[in-house]
Amino acid sequence: MQIQKFKTLNSTNQKAKELARKGAEPWTIILTEEQSAGYGKEKVPWFSPKGGLYFSIILPKSTIEDLQTLTVLAAFIVAKVIKENFSLEPLIKLPNDVRLKEKKVAGILTENIIGKEVKVSIIGIGLNTNIDRLPRDLEDIATSLKIELGKKVDNKKLLKEIVLGIKEQLKTISQ
Amino acid sequence: MQTKIKIGSKLYRVEISELDENLLRVKVDGNDYFFSKNELGELVPVVPQGSEELRSLLREEVFLEALAEKEIKSPIAGTISTIEVKEGEALKPGQKVVTLIAMKMENEIISETVGIVEAVKIKEGQFVNAGDVLIVLK
Repeated sequence: MQIQKFKTLNSTNQKAKELARKGAEPWTIILTEEQSAGYGKEKVPWFSPKGGLYFSIILPKSTIEDLQTLTVLAAFIVAKVIKENFSLEPLIKLPNDVRLKEKKVAGILTENIIGKEVKVSIIGIGLNTNIDRLPRDLEDIATSLKIELGKKVDNKKLLKEIVLGIKEQLKTISQ
Repeated sequence: MQTKIKIGSKLYRVEISELDENLLRVKVDGNDYFFSKNELGELVPVVPQGSEELRSLLREEVFLEALAEKEIKSPIAGTISTIEVKEGEALKPGQKVVTLIAMKMENEIISETVGIVEAVKIKEGQFVNAGDVLIVLK
């Protein structure tokens, strides 16, 4: 898998769409340290300071039905990776969010470009990992792994496990 | 470049030439077909714009009729989030026309044809089924 790393981006999904339009290969990962305009569904802002894990994956051409399934499975994979690595009990709020103690810890947004068929698909994931504290307006509705665990986590390891998990799942549903 | 292609027992004379930086002509047994790259880098059939000389190469308006579809339909069911085009606007292949939310996925619906927007048949917030007409072209 090819990873394109950035210090800062407006949004990894925007960058992924731009690169996909220019012909970037499927499974290219767009990774950034922070997003200045990260967003979730219907362009709701996603707080994305340094420390968090923000990335998008350019997906291979798939049917719209498979992509719908994949979005749900991506939330399951993120929750599974959190559960397997830490003594935490994540819950999925279908289809986009993963929560810890009723607070959002990860969000997933799949975006497609469709003509008569699907042309480009990307999946973006924001996981609050090493964020020390959240702004007051978010602290009751969101959390981070560092806040919950009281220690830093390995972003690189989590990225690898989530991407491999998604790759494996897409293989299963596409065949 | 000229070549002959045999499909089954039939032989086709094919000539491919670049008329412009982004305009390819494929002549098959004397009939011209034109292709251009859209924003996604895909070759799509087009009617050459802005050049009477090129237009005259086509001669037949029948070809133009065949290429320019009259409607853009929704490929999937979902809720219209934003409408990106207005009546009277010229559309080109690859251009975003609406954003549609389906199963919490955001979907940019793009035009695959050329034409002028005659009517926008949907409103933001409206639910559409797959196959519903979104935009009527002229």
